[in-house]
Amino acid sequence: MTFRFVHSSDLHLGKRFGRFSGDLPGALREARHAAIGRLAEHAREHGASTVLLAGDTFDTETPAPQVRRQALAEMSHHTDIRFVILPGNHDSLQTTQLWTTLRAEAPQNVSLAVEPHAMELAPGVLLFPAPCTTRRAGRDLTEWMDGAPSADGTLRIGLAHGAVRSFSEEGDGLEVIAPDRARRAGLSYLALGDWHGGVEIDPRTRYSGTPEQDRFKHGRPGEALLVSLEGPDALPEVTALPTGRFAWRTLTLELLDRDDAVAGLEALLPETRQRRQSLLRIAATGRARLADRTALSDAIDHARPDFAYLDFDDRGLATECEAGDLDRIDRAGALREAADALLAESEDAARSAEERAIAGAALARLYAYAQAVNP
Amino acid sequence: MKIAAFRLFNVKRFANRGVAVEGIGDGVNVLCAANEFGKSTSFEALHALFFQPHSSTAADVRSLRPYSGGNPRVEADIETEAGRYRVAKQFYGGRSAQVTDLATGRLIAQADEAEIFIEGLVRGGTAGPAGLLWVRQGVTGIERRSKSEEDSEKQVRASLLESVQGEVEAVTGGRRMAEIMAAAEEELGRLVTPTGRPKAGERYAAAVEERARLEVEERRLEGEVTALRQALDARAVATKRLAELDRAEDRQERRQAVETAQAALEAAKSKAAVLRAAETDLTLTRERRDAADKKLATFRAALRKAETLRSQLAEAAHRRAEALARRDEAAATVTQARAESEAAEAGEQEARALLARLDAALRSREAAERLAELEQRLAAADTARGGIEEGEAAIAPLRLSDKSVAELESVEIEIAKLRAVAQAGRPSLTVAYEPGAPAVMLDGKALTDGEPLSYDGQAQLSIPGIGIATLRAGRTTGDGDGLHRVEERRRVLLASLGVEDLAAARGRQMEVQRRESDLRELKARLSALAPDGLAKLREDVVARRAVAGDALELKEDPAQVRAAHEAAEARRLAARQALREAEPMQGGAGDAVVAAETALAALQAERAQAEAVLGPEETRAEQENRFAGELAELDAKLAEQQAVVAGLRESAVDLASAEATLRRVRSVADAAEKEAGSLRERMAGLNAEIRARSDDAVEENWRETVEALAAANSRVAAYEKEVAVLQKLRAALETARSRARDAYLKPVMTELRPLLGLLFDDVSITFDEKTLLPHKILRNGQEEEVERLSGGMREQLSVLTRLAFARLLAKDGRPAPVILDDALVYSDDDRIEKMFDALHRQSLDQQIIVFSCRQRAFQKLGGHVLQVTDWHPG
Repeated sequence: MTFRFVHSSDLHLGKRFGRFSGDLPGALREARHAAIGRLAEHAREHGASTVLLAGDTFDTETPAPQVRRQALAEMSHHTDIRFVILPGNHDSLQTTQLWTTLRAEAPQNVSLAVEPHAMELAPGVLLFPAPCTTRRAGRDLTEWMDGAPSADGTLRIGLAHGAVRSFSEEGDGLEVIAPDRARRAGLSYLALGDWHGGVEIDPRTRYSGTPEQDRFKHGRPGEALLVSLEGPDALPEVTALPTGRFAWRTLTLELLDRDDAVAGLEALLPETRQRRQSLLRIAATGRARLADRTALSDAIDHARPDFAYLDFDDRGLATECEAGDLDRIDRAGALREAADALLAESEDAARSAEERAIAGAALARLYAYAQAVNP
Repeated sequence: MKIAAFRLFNVKRFANRGVAVEGIGDGVNVLCAANEFGKSTSFEALHALFFQPHSSTAADVRSLRPYSGGNPRVEADIETEAGRYRVAKQFYGGRSAQVTDLATGRLIAQADEAEIFIEGLVRGGTAGPAGLLWVRQGVTGIERRSKSEEDSEKQVRASLLESVQGEVEAVTGGRRMAEIMAAAEEELGRLVTPTGRPKAGERYAAAVEERARLEVEERRLEGEVTALRQALDARAVATKRLAELDRAEDRQERRQAVETAQAALEAAKSKAAVLRAAETDLTLTRERRDAADKKLATFRAALRKAETLRSQLAEAAHRRAEALARRDEAAATVTQARAESEAAEAGEQEARALLARLDAALRSREAAERLAELEQRLAAADTARGGIEEGEAAIAPLRLSDKSVAELESVEIEIAKLRAVAQAGRPSLTVAYEPGAPAVMLDGKALTDGEPLSYDGQAQLSIPGIGIATLRAGRTTGDGDGLHRVEERRRVLLASLGVEDLAAARGRQMEVQRRESDLRELKARLSALAPDGLAKLREDVVARRAVAGDALELKEDPAQVRAAHEAAEARRLAARQALREAEPMQGGAGDAVVAAETALAALQAERAQAEAVLGPEETRAEQENRFAGELAELDAKLAEQQAVVAGLRESAVDLASAEATLRRVRSVADAAEKEAGSLRERMAGLNAEIRARSDDAVEENWRETVEALAAANSRVAAYEKEVAVLQKLRAALETARSRARDAYLKPVMTELRPLLGLLFDDVSITFDEKTLLPHKILRNGQEEEVERLSGGMREQLSVLTRLAFARLLAKDGRPAPVILDDALVYSDDDRIEKMFDALHRQSLDQQIIVFSCRQRAFQKLGGHVLQVTDWHPG
């Protein structure tokens, strides 16, 4: 027999994205909500009837009522799919309010994995959940799975939320899940949540990652895992399914002194239509000449409206300044004196990095002004 | 740097041809030729050599190529402090740049290195003006210009002005600097106030405000989230506790504990009552036994006491008798001693009275004797005083003045001296007689043999047998007057002293001394008789006379009287002593009698008491036996009851701990109920609070605000950086401009002033503070805009400014040639001559190369005339 399910986690429903302004936070929040529907679609499409959500379904332990209610409404709409929700560290059992309310409001097809007891997902398929009792449990909550009994030939599936070794979004290492829990507890598959980028720990242990990215940290688009289990001993067959609507990416623009910075940038940027759904951070490194720097900055400003969000970080970019560049400010005289002084200051090792950066920026600004006024 | 020669080949219309200008010297050099000669070509070629890289294909270089094409080549020989060099450049095909040391002929730099060498020549650093100072017809020679520009007089005029400006701007940044500064200021002004604070209503201030708002909001929300979490935690704790409290088995357990404790307490209470009764009986028996014991002990003690008292009473009676006898004896002794004492007292009083009388008589006799002696002394003293008074009266007339006597003495000596002198001067006569010759008489006085005799004036010598011889002395002695005067003085002194001569005076003095001695003796006697004076002595006598009174008669012998008194006194003391010894003995005897009586009485009382206890003598043994029997019986009963009580005590339960146990289990049960009740109330409150807050989604709001705050922080930081960058830029620009002003503009003005004076009377130039460009001309007290000056004036100004710069550079140790290319187009000949003066004045330490096509006008310039020769690169 084959048991097939969709493994996802970290929906963080209700997350506000206060760092952005305008319509973007709303769009990002909406995209998270829509991930529920996309997960259900994928399940249906691939003949899976179960969606396991490995924690942090909600961003807080006390989500706004509409977040909770709308999420449940969306789930209840997909009556043929069973959603199993596990408390994570963001929505732990500690406060009970959320889970008491969910228990009262949950529709038929939503199961709450709030007790460390085996749940039957299908005949011969047992789920061993390890709900987070508090934000930081301080112990390995999956330990009980080792001794949990089951009939021979049963498919044992683990469901947990937390860090394995260094894979932690915010933990401090106390509540580390044993990386070989699947082997120890005889699990066919251990579905983990918490890490927002999908990671395979071993063939039977995986983080699904979030279906909708919410930070620049992981360079992977949002996805969910389709898991097929042929039998208790067979290795799981895992397929990644794209679920992300917005792509968060950090792109490194490495420049050498003579490179055409603008061309390099253009090569890096995604095609125009995708930009609307892109949150991009461009980290420029290396060296660029004054003129290239100015041009690059202008090019970024020009491209910015294409994107949902475009951040330019040029702290790693050193300014290469040659006599010719300074000549374009002025060949001699007080302007040139000022430029030389700023250049010297920006290269003066005796000054703090901040002072050097400010002097360098002032020089770049002088260059820009000098190009703007009549020679 | 100085230019010694320059050559060009394949430049403009010199296609495949070359020209050279050699032998350019110090001072003013003039290349004066007609326009078609290619003077400007030379100028442009020279400019390209110094300012265009050999690899350049810029318009300025392109324009050098002949129409037919070709590779322009330019070279110049230059002199610097370091030596003489040839700088050569070829543009386009075979492009090259070379510097050759003319002294050695060695190639010292090529290509880019040669460019760097050239740059070092023409630029003494970025801060100063170029090392070559060009003034060209209408333009600086550096900018590109169109044909139409050159043709337009207006343009030319503007350019001329700019040619001054060009040099100034090269130093100060001029208008570009001002524009850039303004741009930076404007941008800065949109962010901050002049004091550097965020400007209200602008983006920066808005970002700061937003951040402040978010900070407040974040703190508020964090507080709410904390409160929510606390409420949630509190509710979780309460829920858990309530579940524990409400568990059925726990409740049952608590109830049972109470019941058990209650039963235990009842059992303990009944046992305690039995024990208490037994203990009461035991106490009673113990008291009775103790009473019996005491009664027996009292009886036996009384028996023993009665026995003791019997012997003590006999003893006491005996002592009393003895005491009485001693008392009587003592009384007799005292009476006797007292009689003796009184008799002795009377005897002593009598003896003392007699002694007193005897003493008084003795004192009276002594006083009388003393008075007689004093009276005697008084009489003697009076006699002595009388003698003194008489003596003093007699001595007074005899006293002579010591001074007068001393003077008299000196006068006598003077007289003797004068007489001796007179005697020595007188003629004298000595006769040596023959034996038997009669004596010769002089003035009646016989002359002794061999003894001279003197005479005065005239003397008669009678020589017996011969006659009388008259002797006359030739002269009289002159000192007769002195002697007379002194003798007169002696006479006066003797008269005043009342004596006949000095001896008499001395005698009187001796007499006075003797009498005075007598007086002193008398005075000494008087003071011995009356040491405190005569008056005091007299007083004493009067006083004594009063005291003496009448003398008493003395009949008894004083020694006998005194001995009798002493004997009486001894007797009295002995009698007193005896009485004092006897009296205490009498007291002691009395006390002993009282003590003996008291002891006896006490013993008698005790005996009566003991007998009262004991009763009649015959019943005493029986009584004692009865009392002993009673005690033995009670002892047995007590032992029995003690055993009973000990048994009961052993099996007793501690009532207090049974009660405490009951209290404790009851309070446990009560507290559990009470706690459950208050927990339910508390949870109701927490539920309401949690619902309210979570419906408001405070945690989501808080997280949102935290992120927004972080974004606001970085936005503010970006603005802060922007402000810092602009401020930095502004500061750098201001520093550079003010340094340029200090380093060049002021010195140039200083250099320019004498040059202006040479050309114009009473002209000074003000420079704009911002752009540092020539701004106004002050002429004859009138301000004029520079733009309104005539073309001639402007070009003159332009040349003078270059000359001023050149002077400055020369002073700086960087002499630079000034190259003038038809720089004086608009000036009239008169002015041109003045300019020539200025140039010559300047050329003393300056190389000036003048290109001109105005041959006639420039004939007057003088200076070194340059010749153009054909040249072909070797």
